[in-house]
Amino acid sequence: MKIKKVDQFQKILLLIIIIYSILVSIKNPAFLHFETIFDIIRTSSTTMIVAIGLLVVMISGGIDVSFMAIALFGSYTTINVMIALGIDNLGIAFLFSGMIGIGLGLINALLINWLKLPPFIITLGTQNLYHGVMTTFISDKSFGAGVLPECLHEFGQGTIFKIVTEDGAVGLTISLVPVLLIGIATWLILYKTMIGRGIVAIGNDEESARRAGFNPFKIRLFVYAYSGFLAGIMGIIYVAQINALYPNKLVGNELMVVAAVVIGGTKITGGQGKIFGTILGVTIIYLLNSTLILIGLSSSWNNLFVGAILVVSVAITSYQERIKNRSHLIFTE
Amino acid sequence: MKKIREYMNRDLNLSILVTLTFAIFITLRIIIGPSLLSLNNIQSMLFQVPEFGFLALAMMLSNMVGGIDLSIIANANTVAIFTAYVLNGQLSFGTDGAARIILALIFAIVCSLLFGSFNGILISKTSAPPLIATLGTMTLFQGIGMAVTGGASVGDLIPEFSMIAKAKLLELPVIFWIFLGAAVIVGLVLTYTSFGRNFYLYGGNPVAARFSGIHNEKMCISTFLLTGLLAGIAGIIILSRVNSAKVGYGDSYLLQTMIVCVVGGIDPNGGKGKVQGVVIAILLMQVMSSAFTIMSLSPYTKKLIWGIMLVCVLGLNHIIGNYSEYKKLKMSMKAKA
Amino acid sequence: MEQILCVKNLSKSFIGVKALKEINLSINKGEIHCLAGENGCGKSTLVKNISGVHTPDEGEIILNGNVYHSLTPYQAMKEGVQVIYQDLSLFQHMTVAENIAISKLSFEKKKIVNWKEIKKIAKEQLDRIGVSIDMDQTVGELSMANRQLTAICRALAQDAKILFMDEPTTALTKKEVERLLKIIVELKKKGLAIVFISHKLDEIFSVADTITIFRNGEKIGDFNSKDLDEKSLSHYMTGREVEYPRYHRKCKDNQPIMEIEHLTRKDQYEDINISIRKGDIIGLTGLLGSGRTELAMSLFGLNKTQSGCIKVEGKEVKINSPMKAKEFGIALLPEDRFHQGLFIERKIKENVSSALVNALSNRGILNRKKEEKLAEECVKELKVRTPSIDTIIGTLSGGNQQKVVIGKWIATKPKVFIMDTPTVGIDIGSKAEIYEQIHKFADDGMAIIFISDEIQELMANCNKIVVLAEGKCVVTLNEDDLNQEDAAQKISNLISSGENTEIKEAM
Repeated sequence: MKIKKVDQFQKILLLIIIIYSILVSIKNPAFLHFETIFDIIRTSSTTMIVAIGLLVVMISGGIDVSFMAIALFGSYTTINVMIALGIDNLGIAFLFSGMIGIGLGLINALLINWLKLPPFIITLGTQNLYHGVMTTFISDKSFGAGVLPECLHEFGQGTIFKIVTEDGAVGLTISLVPVLLIGIATWLILYKTMIGRGIVAIGNDEESARRAGFNPFKIRLFVYAYSGFLAGIMGIIYVAQINALYPNKLVGNELMVVAAVVIGGTKITGGQGKIFGTILGVTIIYLLNSTLILIGLSSSWNNLFVGAILVVSVAITSYQERIKNRSHLIFTE
Repeated sequence: MKKIREYMNRDLNLSILVTLTFAIFITLRIIIGPSLLSLNNIQSMLFQVPEFGFLALAMMLSNMVGGIDLSIIANANTVAIFTAYVLNGQLSFGTDGAARIILALIFAIVCSLLFGSFNGILISKTSAPPLIATLGTMTLFQGIGMAVTGGASVGDLIPEFSMIAKAKLLELPVIFWIFLGAAVIVGLVLTYTSFGRNFYLYGGNPVAARFSGIHNEKMCISTFLLTGLLAGIAGIIILSRVNSAKVGYGDSYLLQTMIVCVVGGIDPNGGKGKVQGVVIAILLMQVMSSAFTIMSLSPYTKKLIWGIMLVCVLGLNHIIGNYSEYKKLKMSMKAKA
Repeated sequence: MEQILCVKNLSKSFIGVKALKEINLSINKGEIHCLAGENGCGKSTLVKNISGVHTPDEGEIILNGNVYHSLTPYQAMKEGVQVIYQDLSLFQHMTVAENIAISKLSFEKKKIVNWKEIKKIAKEQLDRIGVSIDMDQTVGELSMANRQLTAICRALAQDAKILFMDEPTTALTKKEVERLLKIIVELKKKGLAIVFISHKLDEIFSVADTITIFRNGEKIGDFNSKDLDEKSLSHYMTGREVEYPRYHRKCKDNQPIMEIEHLTRKDQYEDINISIRKGDIIGLTGLLGSGRTELAMSLFGLNKTQSGCIKVEGKEVKINSPMKAKEFGIALLPEDRFHQGLFIERKIKENVSSALVNALSNRGILNRKKEEKLAEECVKELKVRTPSIDTIIGTLSGGNQQKVVIGKWIATKPKVFIMDTPTVGIDIGSKAEIYEQIHKFADDGMAIIFISDEIQELMANCNKIVVLAEGKCVVTLNEDDLNQEDAAQKISNLISSGENTEIKEAM
């Protein structure tokens, strides 16, 4: 299949990003420095990963708000074990944390399948459950840079290449590599494997998917496990970036990721959503996050802008859908 | 005995909830000892109930129309912030003393109704899914609060205002009486008025409601006006209790309100549930919360317990639901035979 | 001839109701077979047993010589059983090519998607039935006819040996049906067995070899299509010696109660003129998408009109919401009972009062005594079979549910009652009772618009029939026209052809 053309919605997002960037760089040329751009890439890379995981969940018609707790659970537990056993291997960190993520994701899927209730409520419950289990039964201590495995520190500081500017050398973070890998892997899964088509199919219509020979339960297991796996990976990268281990980070930021994915054009009703759109959605949020200061506003204005963009985009897309449905005499509410 | 059984069968969920509450209550009483039931402790519990209770009522209403209102806490905090500006003189328009408090209250009510109507109009006019729409407005309301305060807490209120939270009537906090009054009013409205009936119908099947000539847009907007108002009142109480306002206060309430609704027998898909259940669940929650404080559990452990509780109650509901469906099926078979 | 499917003594019951009673059936290779019967007679249930959706209580299913007591959907497909459901089960946001190929790939337990292969499969199947549809379009953008063809291609792609089609022609125009039938005859020649499930037989008659008639869960018999005509068929289907009693208008008041003049909404219907008097039962018929439901929704304020006007009792009115429609005395029994008509988890009395909540209230307080009285009356008048008015409506049978929805609107005392396919999914007993009630309402002076695609039903209940095709009013038949012997045949021709030739001359 030829790569799908960038659709209308993504064009608009892209346009917003470009226009905003131009405005910012006119107001404050510092924006165009590599330093700023590389910094945005670095800070947004972790969110990109979980956003892609959430995208897959939302394409299947579900939602997940427990991924931050999973990320924390996975990375915190893994690194704790590594410190205790003196292991210093990045591969093991990713593997172990990812496995924990898969396990917790599977629990989500099983609960959703069993209880047949809105996944939002269930994953809100498991979010607290996972975080509570971790802090109660594993540990709730913080670890500074000194005790963390050296490999994490290296990875967090690692760069793909460096550019020398007047202010010194700035590098493009190596965290971009896993993001790209995950983006490509997810694209392959969604478009090149049957399970990916199954995810899109159950998001379109679960009953039809069942008739077409898909097993919605298995697909759901995969979807939430995949989201959990990505969360586990993200947790390690996050710890590496901030170079410290806290038991209370990440959790509480999941709704911002949901917002990013929705801004990226993904429908909560399922069946629709694109990786590129999600990347644009995350980019918009982080662009605002790190450039408001450049145009003379404090970062406190961040939520206001994100909220406004979200409300406007939801209002427009829902309204279009409603007009279309009404003209076909479909009443959804 | 037969009557009791009949009654229990009629409202299985509520009966189970009451039994459960008693069981937990007695267990906690045994573990903790008499200090749980000291007047002091009861007062301090009831002192904490209202702010959370009003938010739970708001969540309940939005759940009953099949949506989750994520914006209630942001609404409460932002209303509290604006009200705080009136009370500390920055926005008081030259009033002082009682006049300033009244102005502040009016300001808070208007502000919360504005937020509520914004939600209602957004959802009813664009058919946006409530969860996503209120995620947007939550971020927006938070954003307004952040932009105004820069993230700092707003304090320096005139001292008379905190009297609202401290006042007592018949040994119990006035704000608790206000909460109880509000719950009773909401309960009566839902049970006995035409609005209440339309509300249940709209929540149960909005499409059929539209085809029955029920004014869906009006129902949706009024529902979110009400949730907005209840959240705003919660904001006033928070302000009066804490004596300052800031963005991000009470973030954990989102989960807790959701638990209370689920425990109280509200169907998150809409159209089902009663205020009684939610009020009992709120009290249960508060007793547990106080017990945890007495036992000096860490906030993390509390989180764990809330998480377990939500999942367990959902599971229990599911099993009970299957059971009563089976019963219904048996009954309808009997009727046919 | 080689037998593909044989069903022996198959029985199935739901909640104590026998849906199928000891069915025997055999279907051969290269045969076009039709399962006929009224709604709710068990024909769809039988198909679901064969395709593995339901498990039979008793009996066996023999496919290609293999004996099964129960099947999984996967086994059924492996034996070459393919079902095209009425809702087609297509994926709206996926392309045509993918829709065609996906089931095949999924049943072959493929892991990797090869888009070239998908295109190849889709192209093969489209060529096989000789149609060209843009394969890169999403199904959401297709016409109903092309969706139908996409669904057929999907079934063929899976190596179907026996293809069940549930009501395949409801949404198609005459030309599209002809094309479909041509394709089906071609498939038959290639050795496929094709089974139609239908309650309307006009076109299928022409191609079917054998017709099996069902009534009330029982098989009445197998017939050669040449031995049946409309009349004997409907006799077998309904099991009545006489047809349903004809309605004759008794009301003397000839003032129109509602006039529809030049009513138009682009792409849905145009220039509709209908005048309705008290006691009229006006049949409104046409294919799905012919504008019948669209028009009904407009009269009830759920679908904006663009030009023309609606007059109620001589005064022009603007109906822009169901609230307004209710005010003007217009009621609508919606087509989709489950989603649009019922509050499935609420009590009967709450359903009955749902359109009258405000009227039953005094200063905002609901009068529960009045509500209960209203519900009691409704249950009595419409003969709803229920233990009490406090019963949850979801536990009633389809027929009784429909009676409650009718009762809810009767309680509003409407002047004009629009009934959109009021007998879908309803057992024969309830059907007769509902007809009887409708006649009574009309005798009492109510005007009724009766939307249906069952011609027998229209002939029995209406004193005037309006036929729509592609949004245009093709013909209006009044009582004299309906008395002519071949009226039913003509209507059925008109519905699907969209051309008004013969009747115009006859008028």
